[in-house]
Amino acid sequence: MDIVAPLVKTGLISEALNQWLAVPIGFIFGFGLYHAGFTDSRKIAQAFYLKDVGVPVVMFSAIVTGMLGLWILSLAGFIDTSKMYYLPTYLTPMAIGGVLFGIGMAIGGFCPGTAAASIATGRIDAMVFVLGFLGGSILFGDLFPVWGDFYNSDYHGVYRLDELFGVNLGLVIFFIVIAAVGGSLLMRWGQHLFWSTPPDQTMQPEQVLKYEAPLVGVALLIGFGLAFVPSAYFFGGSGEAEYYIIPKQQGPGPVRKRQRGPAVVVPPATAPAGTMLPAEGDEGC
Amino acid sequence: MNLRCRFPPVVAGVVIGISMLLTFVTAGRGIGVSGTMTRLVATVQHWIYPELTEKSAYFGHYFAHGAHPLDNYLSYLMVGLLAGALVGSLSCGDFRLTVQRGPRISASSRLFLALIGGAITGFAARLARGCTSGQGLVGGAELSVGSWAFLLCIFIGGFGTAWFVRKQWI
Repeated sequence: MDIVAPLVKTGLISEALNQWLAVPIGFIFGFGLYHAGFTDSRKIAQAFYLKDVGVPVVMFSAIVTGMLGLWILSLAGFIDTSKMYYLPTYLTPMAIGGVLFGIGMAIGGFCPGTAAASIATGRIDAMVFVLGFLGGSILFGDLFPVWGDFYNSDYHGVYRLDELFGVNLGLVIFFIVIAAVGGSLLMRWGQHLFWSTPPDQTMQPEQVLKYEAPLVGVALLIGFGLAFVPSAYFFGGSGEAEYYIIPKQQGPGPVRKRQRGPAVVVPPATAPAGTMLPAEGDEGC
Repeated sequence: MNLRCRFPPVVAGVVIGISMLLTFVTAGRGIGVSGTMTRLVATVQHWIYPELTEKSAYFGHYFAHGAHPLDNYLSYLMVGLLAGALVGSLSCGDFRLTVQRGPRISASSRLFLALIGGAITGFAARLARGCTSGQGLVGGAELSVGSWAFLLCIFIGGFGTAWFVRKQWI
């Protein structure tokens, strides 16, 4: 198959059209969040008590869907992964950020995406949460020199799990599918064990199974198939794209890193298509 | 089960995953929410302290070459996200101005905790370079080591905190 994606990087759609396409894509995202029940802070927080494990199950399913889609399209030669923007790893700041993020979620009952969606449904606690979120963001930005060095520490470039474990990329995909399915079943079992009555009485287990089982089956089959594909095939069969061979753990990092300078002096986001946009790299989200 | 208003978790996850996949295919990047919020707050601060914000080590690059922070891919995504959730809640008769809270907590306490939790989450999202969607889901699909560490640590932080705020939720 000819490489056609990412559409905006291969020039098939204009930059402007790409931005406008984000509106219907965002619509699907928001629609999905609402129908997952993610606009309810109680449902989100109850995940941390194993009282309603819908939240991690939805997250796992979304990751598996995006992951299988991305790597299958790459395998088929439809999407040029070397033209994609990948999130770089800054391991310690991300781990510490994750712990703090979890603490904030358990206290506040939202994460940014779910809070935004919840505001659109009129919920006042979501509005207050976002006010706090904006406050936390501006605190981070304005006092950036205080934690700037930590923020930029432990840099590994684009660092994937298959590189970490030294195994096939396809095997990692298969393992993640297995872990998602197994983890979801385990958490549902835990919910059943600790909380006799499920909080969402409208969900009949038989019906849920009827809709979920085929999707889970397909994911497991695809994952099993991908497990035997050599890693190089995911990058057009000609070895890894240049982008992937960024050496890791070499002090302050390769060229990209040095561009950024000591205190995040970032070049403008008008770099030619196909190159990395550091302005995006600093938020990722 | 009212399937029109509440999807089974795996089905809802697949819908969210498809939106993420579409951004990969069209834009070569992922979904994200917290970036828009940071750009929003930078814009507001720029109204009040223009010079300070443009010289800021963190917010400064948003304004490089006269750019407007909110003129960004993620802002368009946010518009769609709000519309999607609004249409969903309206079609299900679920649009309400209300404070969601557990049975054992007052509305004002809930709002106070929402503010505190929001501030911690906002700080954490900047430190981790993204939130659940932009860093967690997208990086998870890209098999990024940092993103998987982030996801794992969210649950460590969440489960570790749950006991202390149990009165709020259950």
